Amino acid sequence: MDTETALNTAEEILKPWTRSVTIPEPNRIVISISRKDLKTGIKALLDAHWGYLSCILGVDFPGNPAPQPEEKMWERLNESEYISPSKPEGMIRVHYVFCHGAACVTLRVAPHYSNLWVPSICDLIPSATLMERELMEMFGIRVEGTPDTTHLLLPDMWPDGEYPLRKWWKGLDQELPESELVD
Amino acid sequence: MEAKPKPNKFVVPIGPQHPALKEPGHFEFTVDGEVVTGASVRLGYVHRGIEKGTESRNWVQNLYLLERICGICSHVHAMAYSLGVEKLAKVTIPPRAQAIRTLAAELERIHSHLLWLGVAAHEGGFDTLFMYSWRDREVVMDLLEMITGNRVNYSVNLLGGVKYDITQEQVDALRKGMDFLEQRSHHYLKVVTTDETFLGRTRNVGLMSFDQAELLGALGPTARASGVQRDVRVDAPYAAYDLYPVKLITDPRGDLEARFVVRINELFESYRLVREISANLPAGELSVRVPRRIPEGEVISRVEAPRGELFYFLRSTGLDTPDRIKVRTPSMGNWASVMTLTIGQNLADVPMILSGIDPCFSCNDRMVRLLRPGVTQTWSWEELRRFGIEHYK
Repeated sequence: MDTETALNTAEEILKPWTRSVTIPEPNRIVISISRKDLKTGIKALLDAHWGYLSCILGVDFPGNPAPQPEEKMWERLNESEYISPSKPEGMIRVHYVFCHGAACVTLRVAPHYSNLWVPSICDLIPSATLMERELMEMFGIRVEGTPDTTHLLLPDMWPDGEYPLRKWWKGLDQELPESELVD
Repeated sequence: MEAKPKPNKFVVPIGPQHPALKEPGHFEFTVDGEVVTGASVRLGYVHRGIEKGTESRNWVQNLYLLERICGICSHVHAMAYSLGVEKLAKVTIPPRAQAIRTLAAELERIHSHLLWLGVAAHEGGFDTLFMYSWRDREVVMDLLEMITGNRVNYSVNLLGGVKYDITQEQVDALRKGMDFLEQRSHHYLKVVTTDETFLGRTRNVGLMSFDQAELLGALGPTARASGVQRDVRVDAPYAAYDLYPVKLITDPRGDLEARFVVRINELFESYRLVREISANLPAGELSVRVPRRIPEGEVISRVEAPRGELFYFLRSTGLDTPDRIKVRTPSMGNWASVMTLTIGQNLADVPMILSGIDPCFSCNDRMVRLLRPGVTQTWSWEELRRFGIEHYK
């Protein structure tokens, strides 16, 4: 299957759940999809043996977020250059990138800060667990139904509400407590 | 990946510091007698916050930062990044530069596969093979040093081309080096496929079927040793791979032996490519200009690193710094397979199965923290240098 055919096939498979399609590169399409349809769309791709999951990644769009329960986070947001009454509520775009030869299809969901969750796809693709754990600790997204919610990359004593790949995050205010394993 | 330990079972923790692993990773294997019944992995011991770091550096500085993600496949990280930035900037680099990038990538694959052969042999208790393969690896390390002046971070890439040209003397040295390594690799292939003791550690050990490899998202030689026909150099040729096509190497058997065979056969293909590219280098310039501010957009750049598909996502908002860079390394894709493969195997085979995927923890983890009382966490270069001297006194 050549690249164009592969992209057309994927677009056709995902058509029932597609909100919009963009073509950022000749060999790549980005399909915007709602969270509730995400797993159905991915299952359709897998059932059709269309490619493999290459990556799950997040991109933070801070906007003008609604107040968060974490007071500290809100203080930081007020200090940040991203705060502006004219901007919409912040969101995180989550990309699920599937590849088939040279063709890449990105399924994109964009949960807002006030309702930050995505469904786990581990029941469909078990190896997604590592990327979901990374997404949770780096962006503070809740991955509903993921089998393992422990830290993958950050230390165990990493404080709650500190998400390094959010745009407002400039580092920890204080050093982490010493590890219990150290003498 | 985690399989929950059952009650009344014995859990064997391995790492983060362990003689069987030269890089820090923590694994917990639940065992029933000698048989592994569950496995979990914990990474992050060499997490350095590189993705976050790229957002506060300009596009050129990031080339040097990203090349340091891994000390083994440094070139391929810089190449994936450069290809992505050039795509965003809509810049086409000269054919000679493309060829030199490809040549360096194949030399890197040779040193990486020979390094892996030594490590895997060592994990299996075959230290003679380990020492011979690492002795021979010096040939390709010397060739890389001859071309670039460096053995590890070669710094071949520029945004818009390459820094180093290849002279006729270097072409001759490359051919001579490839001839020697090819002859040695035939010997290694014979050893790993005929030595009874070696086969006792590899044949039918760590079996992964084609379907399992697909389901678990295995990549690179690990997947190809289960018959998966996937190689970015073949599927989506980049740099000069369209001019110098690569023959896909696969093996359907799916065991550790197949992983040895696939990697050694890939060495032969790399020797051929190095000879072919160096003998047919296109004439012309080495670089073109790339703007300081990169136009707005998002691109994906995929290349075939020695361990498998390396994935870069780059997003620019039109500034001289990126908005987001995501790096997904092949080891990240291969962990799921190894955690599954160890179940049902003897605990003694675990180090071999782990090394079978050629794991790279630095690639995965992309902040070193020294958690000791009274020691500051941000060190100056001088403090670090002094610590090194005191530590090794």
